[in-house]
Amino acid sequence: MTLRKLLLSFVFVVLCSRSSYSQWLEISNVKLRREPTELAGPKIMIEYDINDPNISPESPAYVFVRYSRDSGKNWQLIPMDSLRGNGFDIVEKPGHKEIVWWGTSQTSFADANQVEVHVRGIAMARIPAGKFVMKSLPGAGRDESKEISPDPDLPLFYMAKNETTISMYTDYLNEFGGEVAGWNPRMAREKRCGIVRNDDGTYSIKPGRENYPVTYVSWYDATNFLQWCGLRLQTEAEWEKALRGGLYLDGDALKKKPNPMPERRYPWGNESPGTDGVFRCNFDTEDDGFPYSSPVGSFEKFGSPYGVSDLAGNVAEWTIDWYSTSYHAGLDGFRMVRGGSWMAVPAACDAITGATQLPLKESSIMGFRAVKEPGK
Amino acid sequence: MKSLNRREFMKSTVGAAAGLTVLSQHRAHAAGEKIIMGVMGLGGRGTYLAEKFAQRPDVEIAYLSDPNTRRFARAREVVEEAQDKRPKMVQDFRKILDDGSVDVLINATPDHWHGLGTIMACQAGKDVFVEKPLAHNIWEGRKMVEAARKYKRVVQVGMQSRTSPYTWKAKEYIQSGKMGDIYLVRVFNMMRHSKQKETPNQPIPEGFDYDMWCGPAPKLPYNPSRRWLNQWEYSCGPIAGDAVHQLDLARYLMDDIPYPETVAHAGGVNALRDGRETPDTQLATFEYGRLTLLMEAALWTPYIKKIPGNIRDSDRFPNWPFCSTRVEILGTEGFMYYGRHGGGWQAYDAKGELVRSEYGRQADKEHQDNFIDCIRTRKKPNADVEIGHQTVLLCHIANISYRVGNLKLKFDPQTETFTNCEKANQYLKREYRKPWVVPDNV
Repeated sequence: MTLRKLLLSFVFVVLCSRSSYSQWLEISNVKLRREPTELAGPKIMIEYDINDPNISPESPAYVFVRYSRDSGKNWQLIPMDSLRGNGFDIVEKPGHKEIVWWGTSQTSFADANQVEVHVRGIAMARIPAGKFVMKSLPGAGRDESKEISPDPDLPLFYMAKNETTISMYTDYLNEFGGEVAGWNPRMAREKRCGIVRNDDGTYSIKPGRENYPVTYVSWYDATNFLQWCGLRLQTEAEWEKALRGGLYLDGDALKKKPNPMPERRYPWGNESPGTDGVFRCNFDTEDDGFPYSSPVGSFEKFGSPYGVSDLAGNVAEWTIDWYSTSYHAGLDGFRMVRGGSWMAVPAACDAITGATQLPLKESSIMGFRAVKEPGK
Repeated sequence: MKSLNRREFMKSTVGAAAGLTVLSQHRAHAAGEKIIMGVMGLGGRGTYLAEKFAQRPDVEIAYLSDPNTRRFARAREVVEEAQDKRPKMVQDFRKILDDGSVDVLINATPDHWHGLGTIMACQAGKDVFVEKPLAHNIWEGRKMVEAARKYKRVVQVGMQSRTSPYTWKAKEYIQSGKMGDIYLVRVFNMMRHSKQKETPNQPIPEGFDYDMWCGPAPKLPYNPSRRWLNQWEYSCGPIAGDAVHQLDLARYLMDDIPYPETVAHAGGVNALRDGRETPDTQLATFEYGRLTLLMEAALWTPYIKKIPGNIRDSDRFPNWPFCSTRVEILGTEGFMYYGRHGGGWQAYDAKGELVRSEYGRQADKEHQDNFIDCIRTRKKPNADVEIGHQTVLLCHIANISYRVGNLKLKFDPQTETFTNCEKANQYLKREYRKPWVVPDNV
């Protein structure tokens, strides 16, 4: 089939969304259609519905598209700058979406019938630009080589409302496939993770574990997953701002919503996580109902001012930041991990807690979440 | 924090703790019987040691201890992963000492807790694995030796390089005379440290027993920006804390030379003027009769690096001139580069021709093996407490020379005091904060 014939043909392919995997936002009616153009080269239209009523400018979806041109054997992320329309990157309203995928090098398929796309969405929280209070302790592991301003400020960014789940990560593993993917045998431990590698090289989830945070992921595993999504890890400053909120919760451009507790100790305020028998996060007690990790968002109502869950407990989270106070140990590759975990004492679930870890570390109390910078 | 032992202890000083001498002191450790350990100090090194010992089939980590509860989770997780059994988590290490089923205390605290923690453990009948540098001051180091001997304890210092077979071969080569007479040994320790920031004092965070953390040292206002490593009250200094490894290797290679006759220091806080007390530049000359030992160390040389990870434990050698942790041996007939961290060694003859090379391997596991073996056999370990004392003593006398104005000091090995400067003798011992006092009679 010649390129011209291809350009003149209409191809409809019904594609699966990724909603069968928990914590991807539900996306349905995904369709792919090639449209001819006379002058501008091939154009692919991707349509889908995203109907989560919680999607809003403050709680948008991050939508990314991955495609395969060989019937699902190999997959690639469609670069955001190849897309146009209202349904990719940060999506602020639910409804029917149309994306234009425009790029001759990517869309000149030899056999359009073999083309598939996967559209996935992640619930994000909008963290508006503005000043905030950063109080993490240098002794607790802050990167002291950084120039931490006494009056820190951050531009707009988006943070995943939840920690990355086992099902999201398994979806990634299954798309990658093979033995080289970021899986290790400890992930099969049911109480602490629950991802099994099958004999055929696929990965499956222990029943009921879909919505728990993925653990035993190294810094590299986390980074690879997020690059696969077109995202990145959080910085320490982003983590801390998301937890406490900025000086103004609607950002410094508006300044209409002053943060009532800009120096709060925990996402919900200053009460210790188990005060008065109310459990506000998953820490080291079985009284909160979880002897190990808990499904993400289990303590949603004790989330941060922006609606970000589990910053305090459940699993500690990798950050992108180096720890480079000293070369004393001869190992200059430590990365910072922030927040408490299901194994942490209540005080260690606060906004200043951090730890250093070598990036290859795979731990049952460490996971990660995604961050998106607008336009990147 | 209400235990009887604590109250008794608070009434007096650590001297009373001798009464804790216990049951485990004479426990037999048959092959196959697990050795029960507690870990004091859950920073990076303490957590590492907890994990490594927990991974051994002949060890159980029963306790993890740190005044800062924020450190609990990371250490507990690695131990549970390694031994599939939950350790007890305590802020007060004396609970470990009170438990007669515990055989060993691993002491991986900041410098100011090495001495008292080890002495109290010996008094309680525990064997000890204590991290380097052995002691905060010279007097304290001697008391640690006395405690180990009095209570017949095995005390291994975390100076693992002397347990490496390549180090043994280097010593054998040097001692064979192939390099002629050795008159000069040069020890290097170059690092890059960042400046500490000056920030206001802060409230003590919840979950942190700061009083316990300070222990024998003054309880200064809490300020996390002030690094303990840079303060005399808590530390021997970051250079001493690391150079002690190479100094120990130099001593070992020279057949464990005991005491220098003199020390002269040059340097100070030259590059990192950030309020720190301990020097960032240290050049020390130690005279042992006709042998001279030089230490050259700094905290501001980013281009001179520790041996990279891909060279450690490999069949490769570091780029010697830019190797920050090398030892150079200069004899009348030959020269040797030796590298810590499994960097290997290379020997040259009088013509400058390379005549012998040995690749290196690090020996953390072997050092731990040696400790376990000695617990069972009651032999002295490779880095026995006396060796640790004599090595860190070099750091202390260099520091003291600096603190009295970079004076050349004469040292008397019999009394472990200086003979030509009374002011220098003021630094032989610290002032201990009650009740955390090391008694004269341990």
